[in-house]
Amino acid sequence: MLDAHTLQILTESAKYDVSCSSSGSERANRKGGLGNASAGGICHSFTPDGRCISLLKILMSNECLYDCEYCPNRRSSGTERARITPDEVCRLTINFYRRNYIEGLFLSSAVFDTPDRTMELLTETVVRLRKLYNFNGYVHLKGIPGADAEIMMKAARYADRMSYNIELPSEKSLKLLAPQKNRDALLTPMKRLQTAMTYDRENKVRTGRVLPAGQTTQMIVGASPESDGQILRLTEYLYRRVGLKRVYYSSYIPVTASPLLPARPAGLLREHRLYQADWLLRFYGFDADELCGEGEYLSEEHDPKCAWALKNMHLFPVEINSAPLETLLRVPGIGARSAYRITEARRYARLGFEDLAKMRIVLKRAKHFITCKGKFYGAEGTAVRAALMSDERCRRGGQDEQLSLFSTASDAVAALTGQL
Amino acid sequence: MKIFLTDGTAAGFYTAVFDAYGHEGSMITSCDMQLGLDSEITEVTADENKAKRVTDKLCKIDGYATGDVDLALRSGDCTKEQTAFEYIKLIVRSGRPVRRMLSQPAVIEMNGLTGRVAGELHKMKGFLRFMETADGALYAPCSPDNDIIDLLAPHFKARLGAQPFVIHDVKRKKAVLCDGNEWFAADAGEAEVYLSEYELAFENLWRKYYASVNVDERPHEKQMRGYMPVRYWKFMPEKKGGA
Ligand code: SF4
Repeated sequence: MLDAHTLQILTESAKYDVSCSSSGSERANRKGGLGNASAGGICHSFTPDGRCISLLKILMSNECLYDCEYCPNRRSSGTERARITPDEVCRLTINFYRRNYIEGLFLSSAVFDTPDRTMELLTETVVRLRKLYNFNGYVHLKGIPGADAEIMMKAARYADRMSYNIELPSEKSLKLLAPQKNRDALLTPMKRLQTAMTYDRENKVRTGRVLPAGQTTQMIVGASPESDGQILRLTEYLYRRVGLKRVYYSSYIPVTASPLLPARPAGLLREHRLYQADWLLRFYGFDADELCGEGEYLSEEHDPKCAWALKNMHLFPVEINSAPLETLLRVPGIGARSAYRITEARRYARLGFEDLAKMRIVLKRAKHFITCKGKFYGAEGTAVRAALMSDERCRRGGQDEQLSLFSTASDAVAALTGQL
Repeated sequence: MKIFLTDGTAAGFYTAVFDAYGHEGSMITSCDMQLGLDSEITEVTADENKAKRVTDKLCKIDGYATGDVDLALRSGDCTKEQTAFEYIKLIVRSGRPVRRMLSQPAVIEMNGLTGRVAGELHKMKGFLRFMETADGALYAPCSPDNDIIDLLAPHFKARLGAQPFVIHDVKRKKAVLCDGNEWFAADAGEAEVYLSEYELAFENLWRKYYASVNVDERPHEKQMRGYMPVRYWKFMPEKKGGA
């Protein structure tokens, strides 16, 4: 059996990858098989840092050929190395899964031997899990940049999700900090996989579909000088043109001393704001252009929706009983769930301010932007800004560092609490 | 006030609805609570006939209403019968499904109650922990707030396939058992379980994983406890002993 120390090394080297989501796939169990994937995603535990554990997230190896400046596993670092075999990964996954510790496997690796060899072993693991162990639970594989396209396509036929990490938001930063990687080596496989997924969808392929839970990526924020505006434009491109399911942001933490890197960690607040803006791009019908100018940063004081509304006060207030859903979604403080509840409830009765309160819709911010049966309950003019400021401050409680970005790490949880 | 005390079963509840209907201000409960001096208690004996008349009436108006009530009655909350009763009264008064009348107090209460039951059901799909027994079956003890293990069974049946398993609600002394083909519910008091020789080793690996994946620099215990309340910990190897 795998020894605990090896597991520790390979877990610690993998843990800064924030993607833990297990949603988006509905793989059914087969006869005699073990496991299925749940479309909503399930959290199996929570760690003292507040994050959800859904998948067994480990590296196959932390031995790396490359020397990315920001990475604790880079070739020139003195960290302790370990490697496990595909079969060891399989047995650990199966035994954790049967006990209901996990929803599946998220297997990644540093680049050992050659990119092809690394990708081959990752692929061998997922094929083994599916064929030998008859495992139908969730599998997320990390794509290894520069590996052969054939191997990648094979992996994609067995995995639920794959991710090639963008790492840094611009080619220039990539050159400086991750010299062995380039934008094309990351974007080309993403696009190729997306094409294969589109083909399957259009031809209604039922069994053996390529990546039923799609692709995701991750970028490090604050290690390089890109603005939020640039990052959000890249995000928008990845969602709307490439077709990714999720973009994850990882606030830079200095784990290696380097003259090329900032000495201080990027604040969690910045990452939190990016996740909020990301949410608005995906579910609230906003464009990057509306949220943040190209060279600009998101507001620290206000969440992105609030900041947008303050710049567009001429569009408010809106009447709760008649505004279309798209408009309600743009009201600060009204999240997707509240907006939906309002549109349902108003089919049966005209809603007053007290009705909204009874429906447990939080009106602290929203009241400045709505009318109920024509009546306005908020502050006028510049007082709005002041009122919102004091509210924001009380919600932040003066401790930005506690504002965990990781609260967004799980789709399952975020979907319940994602009230912007 | 007139109080109808039921035996906690669905039939008992629907019988009480039948009896209480029309008595303005009457209450239904199955909890043995301290009652006011002015309350007049009627013990209800389940009557299939009366119960059926209520459910038939409900089904005619809203085919899903008894499903809502079923979920509500699984709650560990003392107000569950009263909440379901108010909901039923609103359905009968309105003559149509009411679950989307989201500004009605009776609907808000009911949705809140069933939402908490469904919420725990979802949580337990993640937090339940199986142990492997010496004969290769899986055994999961638990004590959820709500009476839901028979709702968990189909989920784990679909996952575990031919693998035999037992989910044991130790508080309510009942269990669901699956032999790899069919599952069924049964009463179950104490269970004597012999663990497989590998069980402890995998629990230890899991504890190691749990400790290693945590980012120590960013403690956020409050959030952890919010998402995973302490009362669930005693059956989770990574939290046993309150780590
Ligand atoms: S390739 Fe990956 S593991 Fe290797 S140094 Fe770069 S980021 Fe680290």
